[in-house]
Amino acid sequence: MAIDVRTVRSQPVSRVRPAAGRSRSRRIRAALARFGVFGAPGLLVYGCFVLAPVGLSFWYSLTNYNPFNPQTRFVGLDNYRMLFGDDEFLTSLRVTSVLTVILVIVPNLAGLGVAMLLNRKGWFYNTWRGVFFVPMVLSSVVVSIVWTRLLADDGVVNQALGWIGVSPVGWLSDPSLALYSVAGIMAWQMLGFCVVVYLAGLQSVPAELYEAASIDGAAPFARFRHVTWPLLAPALTINTVVLLISAFKAYDHIQVITNGGPGSGTTATVAFLTLQTGFIANHQGYASAMAVVMLLIVATASAVVLRLLQRREVDL
Amino acid sequence: MRTTNSSAYGGTWMRPLAVTALGAVFAVPLYVVLANTFKPGADIASSPAALPAPPTLDNLQAVMDRPDHLFWASLTNSLLVTTLSVVVLTVLSAMLGHYLARTNSRWGRAATLLLLSGLMIPPQVILLPITHVLRIFHLMATVQGLVLFNVGYYVPFGVFVFAGFVRTIPVELEEAAAIDGAGRLTVFWRIVFPLLRPATASAVIFFGVWIWNDFIDPLIILGPGSGTTVTTGIYRAIGQYQADYGTVFGLMFLATLPVLILYLVLQKQFVQGLTSGATKG
Amino acid sequence: MPRTRTTAALLALAMAAPLSACSVGSDSSSSSGSSKGTQEITFLTFETPNLTPQYWDAAIKRVTAKYPYIKVKRLVSPTADRTAYAKQLRASGQLPDVMIAVAPTGFAEAGDLYAWQPSELKDFLFPGAGAINGKIYQLPTNSQSIPNVYYRKSIFTAAGITAPPKTYAELLADCAKLKAKGTTPFVVGGGKDAFPTVLPLTGTVGTDVYRKTPDWMDRRRDGKVKFAEPDFVGALKKVGDLASKGYIDSKMVSLDYAATEQAFLKGKGAMYPMGSWFAASGDKSPIKNDIGVFPWPTDDGSELMPVYTGGGIDVNAHAKNLDAARKFALAFQLDQTNLDASVKSDALFPAIKGYKQPSDMGPVFTETYDLWKQAVKDQAIVKAFAWETGDDALLPGVDAKVFAATQDVILGRKSPEAAAVYLDDEWKKAS
Repeated sequence: MAIDVRTVRSQPVSRVRPAAGRSRSRRIRAALARFGVFGAPGLLVYGCFVLAPVGLSFWYSLTNYNPFNPQTRFVGLDNYRMLFGDDEFLTSLRVTSVLTVILVIVPNLAGLGVAMLLNRKGWFYNTWRGVFFVPMVLSSVVVSIVWTRLLADDGVVNQALGWIGVSPVGWLSDPSLALYSVAGIMAWQMLGFCVVVYLAGLQSVPAELYEAASIDGAAPFARFRHVTWPLLAPALTINTVVLLISAFKAYDHIQVITNGGPGSGTTATVAFLTLQTGFIANHQGYASAMAVVMLLIVATASAVVLRLLQRREVDL
Repeated sequence: MRTTNSSAYGGTWMRPLAVTALGAVFAVPLYVVLANTFKPGADIASSPAALPAPPTLDNLQAVMDRPDHLFWASLTNSLLVTTLSVVVLTVLSAMLGHYLARTNSRWGRAATLLLLSGLMIPPQVILLPITHVLRIFHLMATVQGLVLFNVGYYVPFGVFVFAGFVRTIPVELEEAAAIDGAGRLTVFWRIVFPLLRPATASAVIFFGVWIWNDFIDPLIILGPGSGTTVTTGIYRAIGQYQADYGTVFGLMFLATLPVLILYLVLQKQFVQGLTSGATKG
Repeated sequence: MPRTRTTAALLALAMAAPLSACSVGSDSSSSSGSSKGTQEITFLTFETPNLTPQYWDAAIKRVTAKYPYIKVKRLVSPTADRTAYAKQLRASGQLPDVMIAVAPTGFAEAGDLYAWQPSELKDFLFPGAGAINGKIYQLPTNSQSIPNVYYRKSIFTAAGITAPPKTYAELLADCAKLKAKGTTPFVVGGGKDAFPTVLPLTGTVGTDVYRKTPDWMDRRRDGKVKFAEPDFVGALKKVGDLASKGYIDSKMVSLDYAATEQAFLKGKGAMYPMGSWFAASGDKSPIKNDIGVFPWPTDDGSELMPVYTGGGIDVNAHAKNLDAARKFALAFQLDQTNLDASVKSDALFPAIKGYKQPSDMGPVFTETYDLWKQAVKDQAIVKAFAWETGDDALLPGVDAKVFAATQDVILGRKSPEAAAVYLDDEWKKAS
């Protein structure tokens, strides 16, 4: 992209009060030019490839659109009505909720613990920090394949259990376990993120505060409760919102590890069901209704969580 | 960086021990990939946890010598898509982030809000219709189409990073340059953009990691005609190599190497980028 | 005002920048791409341990050597479920020109596929197999018997079983003997590939439903029968009983297709219900002489073999180079070397007039092939449930539900009755 910046000679925004309409129109023109160069390109791409598709999803969700069946017609809210009587969809909502709860709680808590342990200087802690961060840069496909091998009937995990006399567990084949196994794998991958964010929060706690608390004779737990925890509020907010959104997006792990099984609907999330319905069963109108419901839930949940957690930050 | 008094939390040897124990358990999957990449394929199924003794390069060799060049073609595609997406994203989101941070109008605030709400849109919501939009532009199943999708999808995050950073730069710096008679773009690229380097570094790493590792978007948008990226390539290869896990591990190792190197080189900025928001909220 | 013009030009440029900046990528789908004379077609394939990239490339080359003006771009389905992938491609407007072993159901009704003319089908043994509204959309290139029960002779002997079971009661008795020895009788997988789970059900539906009502699926399509009727529920029940008695290890259901095959070859179970294509892997394994095969037994011990014929190439009716696509498809399917390769690599039974399989086939293939030939000769064949691809196929998308429901029954999550009701519901949703 070779734009010769010197050809741009647009006037800087005039700081002089405009005396007449001519300079006012020039000011508007300058603002437009500024928008055209700096604002428009990004907004245009965003509009074309994100906003327009969201709008299209809303529109499709009101039709019976199915590329195998050319007679597309407007069906109003029929898709939504059907959705809430559809066991498969309701199950996927339940699966997504379970996954979300686990993913919001487990990496958050474990990440806090690991961060507190690692919150020391020196090569030793730096090295381990590096280890905990690595899964963040791994592809979910790689993580899924490795864990599928680890959790196989004759995989490393069951072999280790065998040494202590536990018979093999069907981590991914037992329908009552599979969802928790997948959640655990995702938690493993997300842990590093939470650790980084909490470490940063911990390092922003001024040492003087601890010293003051120590002089006051506060016990370690009290010190955590009254000094560390409140100052970690922003980190908690970030982690919670990011985990929440990732849990709702959960797709790659499901497709690679279980493909929605074992059996019907044990690990099929809403995101998974939406793409299956849209791309494989080809009920695109119906799938779009799922997508819209998913979007509304994510938006509401994120807004509520943000509001709640940020209020806590302000209350400090 | 400040640390708390080390004697405050119990004995001095308890902590290293706890860290080592936890870290070792946590790292088991990472160890398994490394060990099995350099182990003969036949030994992987029987002793997945054993050390590769003696280590072999056969798996990596097999991946690189595949007659259909799956690895090399995927690598080229991934490099192309990731580089193009990251460059365009960085340029567009730096300009847009700067513009929005410096605009006080109602429209500017509305646009910011609209962009930020894009941070939480799951890709599955737009994947169905995006295929139709891309078809209108004749960009379906092309690298350009995937790049444009990436740009649109990740531009909110870039704006979020850059706009936040721009607000910490005094506006006087830019005004001084502007009064000198330099054009807006000149001012931006000569004066402002260099000041944004920390934000650029963290945006580049995030975009790079996300786009390199992306799975479902290239799977659907790139389609089969334009070939695979490294992630979709791995996914495809497991079908053929189920019985030969050595090759799968070799492929996973090689596919991860570039992004791992990027991460190791830029680790500091990565963590800084992640944490700049964590302390401010 | 010149300044405005520059600004406007720049604005346009900035908007176009993201487009032009990345046009160095691969060629866009809209470009015609064909230089004078050569005609390019896309060909959707899939890769398995049997069907490697080398296999496909060599097979394609044999045809393009005959038609040098045809240029083939080979596409690869990311999983073995190429039908699901073809649907995804269609949904995003990228249906390939030529597709192999993609079930035509759904595509054909929507007018996507080229209907083969009788003159083009003259070389095929069963030119009417897999018809949809009386027309053939998928070349009926090969037959497969689905399922056969493959078993380990040494494991049978160790459990004191001298001959493979002839009746279903004998099968159950043998299972009990194996289990008493601590061997898992059946290897039944599925995992993310799902289809390996359905094979026992294909067996029981064959013996308990199709044998009595050969056109059961046509009647299901007409709404004259339902899944939740005694015959079909009985077939599901037989599978459920095998699992509840521990004859099918529910843990193995998480194994995907290739891992399931490995489990059987490594002796993790005594029997493996699978389609005839397993013979290729069986003959490649070091234990090929220890593998025997028998058909899924009927209650009274009479001969019966579920068979599917089809599995060939479909051609996109809207292919840009339709003539080249058709020529390529027929040549690919009728090429003697390609047929031999398909027999050797994937143990297919070519349903081509006058075709003779290579003489140096392994023991597993030969035994499987002989069972099929005998059943065809005795007219003791039925359709293979969940594998049909014509008018008599499950509705699009329902096959995945059948796989899931079978898993549910094996895992004990649904009773056979509940699974049948679930299938009727899914059927209604899909129609």
